[in-house]
Amino acid sequence: MMSTIIYEKKDKIGWIILNRPEKLNAINDCLLEELDQALAAAEPDLEVKVVVIKGAGKCFSVGEDLTGLGTSEVLPPERGGRLSTKRLLEAERRRSRRWEYIFNLAKPTIAQVHGHCLGAGLSLAMLCDITIASQDAVFGDPELRMGLLPGMPLWLWLVGIKKTKEMLYSGRYIDASEAEKIGLINKVVPPDKLEQEVNRLAEGISLMPGDGLAICKDGINAVMEARGLGEAWRFTDNMQLVMQQRSIEPGEFDFFETRDKKGLRAALEQRDVPFTSLRAQEEEG
Amino acid sequence: MPTGFGWEFKTQYQRCQWEAMEYKDREYAHALYEKDGEIARITLNRPEKRNAFSDRMFNDMLAGLHQANDDPEVRVVIIRGAGPCFSAGHELSSPYQEESPPVDPRYNPTLVDYYGFERRRCNKHEDLLHYPKPTIAQVHGYCIGAGEAVAASCDLTIAAEDSQFGIRGFGRFTNGIANLLLWPAGSNKAYAGRVLPEVSGKEAAQMGAINKAVPQDKLEEEVNKWAEALSRLAPEALTITKEWINGMLDITGAGAAWRSHYGAHIMLQYVRFHPSEVSLYKTRRDKGLKGFFVDRAISATPGEKPAA
Repeated sequence: MMSTIIYEKKDKIGWIILNRPEKLNAINDCLLEELDQALAAAEPDLEVKVVVIKGAGKCFSVGEDLTGLGTSEVLPPERGGRLSTKRLLEAERRRSRRWEYIFNLAKPTIAQVHGHCLGAGLSLAMLCDITIASQDAVFGDPELRMGLLPGMPLWLWLVGIKKTKEMLYSGRYIDASEAEKIGLINKVVPPDKLEQEVNRLAEGISLMPGDGLAICKDGINAVMEARGLGEAWRFTDNMQLVMQQRSIEPGEFDFFETRDKKGLRAALEQRDVPFTSLRAQEEEG
Repeated sequence: MPTGFGWEFKTQYQRCQWEAMEYKDREYAHALYEKDGEIARITLNRPEKRNAFSDRMFNDMLAGLHQANDDPEVRVVIIRGAGPCFSAGHELSSPYQEESPPVDPRYNPTLVDYYGFERRRCNKHEDLLHYPKPTIAQVHGYCIGAGEAVAASCDLTIAAEDSQFGIRGFGRFTNGIANLLLWPAGSNKAYAGRVLPEVSGKEAAQMGAINKAVPQDKLEEEVNKWAEALSRLAPEALTITKEWINGMLDITGAGAAWRSHYGAHIMLQYVRFHPSEVSLYKTRRDKGLKGFFVDRAISATPGEKPAA
């Protein structure tokens, strides 16, 4: 019995629902483990032609669970910890191999996004073949603001150099129409049409021959691999390790220390306040 | 390996060119360097020449990058142009001994010398791409040729809506060094852009080739806002992230694309022009640089040509 993921089959569509609505579907170890299980059930199932991933409650997912409780798979190891380099590399490889597995799942995948879709939540949506979002969706990856590597290689393949740098350097959030414009997602629909639109698309895909879909997807992904995506995952693992060796200068913002001393809310506020000028401007625009 | 051409052809372990450019006791002239807290500004400063790149301007810019890199307080570098525009590109009238303009046929270099020359010339842009601190190009007016390459090599480009990006080339052949624009996503849009002679800041933003286009009177404010935001990030974390992104660019083959660009420059040198086509050297010799500009503009305009 799974506690953070709901998996159900309906008319050749496999629905995977991120189900920690009280935590805005923050991604922790348990959720990842159960996501693995759901995907492992869907992938070989001949009755399932297409997989849809969506969030229960207010949003798709706010990203990594930052509490530090049951989050060893999603947060970097504690600074000054005693894990060997080999173990650290293993952890990074496990993380990126999980993403690669989802990306290369032998079935088409659709992310159905509403509300916040941030950090690892956004990574999950980017890994799906198609992303459909409602107008209220918000996308962004603020990891660098916490001194973490926003290590999702797909950015560069999906939106190009300048936009990748802009989004990752600033950690700014964008709305669904901007996300559609830069090529991060496929389509924006009004909130009350989201479910219907995804259903329509999934039904359409489910009329296709299953083997044909798998081979077509593999061919498209192979093009991205040919342009270096495969190597980029390994390079990302290494750079994650490099980043973990960073020392924090006196007076520099330490997200995790602030969290432990003042609580998560205060740490998030301190993380995001310096960037409000970029946000104000977004609201204007 | 020293060459008869006056430059060294360095195959590896090459120091980047800004690192080799001394800034101590430098009198900045063709590019100015100033520091405002955590933000350094390099201002291309030959307004009477529309900031066309001479060797001196390149060197002052590179020295500025060196100085900003050595200054631990500096966290963001802005590159911008004084006067009417960002930059109109390579200075086509500078003395033929200079590196900035296309190689003059009078040199008649060996192929290896020539390759080394192109490599050195293009490496200035590559070195800017791989510069450790974040860079922002603040673009207004013309941003052509080498100017566009400098802007493309910065991390972010924020431009005035009515600025103009483009490559004009020194024949009718236009070869985009802005191959960074083609990399790796959105290339269909970028190729479409290449067949147009020029795009405005607004169009460039729509193509995704630059980050943002704003009205010119808002440009400085917008750039400062971004520079200030980036200056709040942990500098080391930002540098590692930049290195990660640029490393992935290399994995996709960007390094080889630069090399092919050196080759394209060289091939251009051996292009044989049809009598009806406009060649920089011949036209400049016969009609002067202004005459070349006029003939190039005419030849690049579709439709009936006036009699030469």
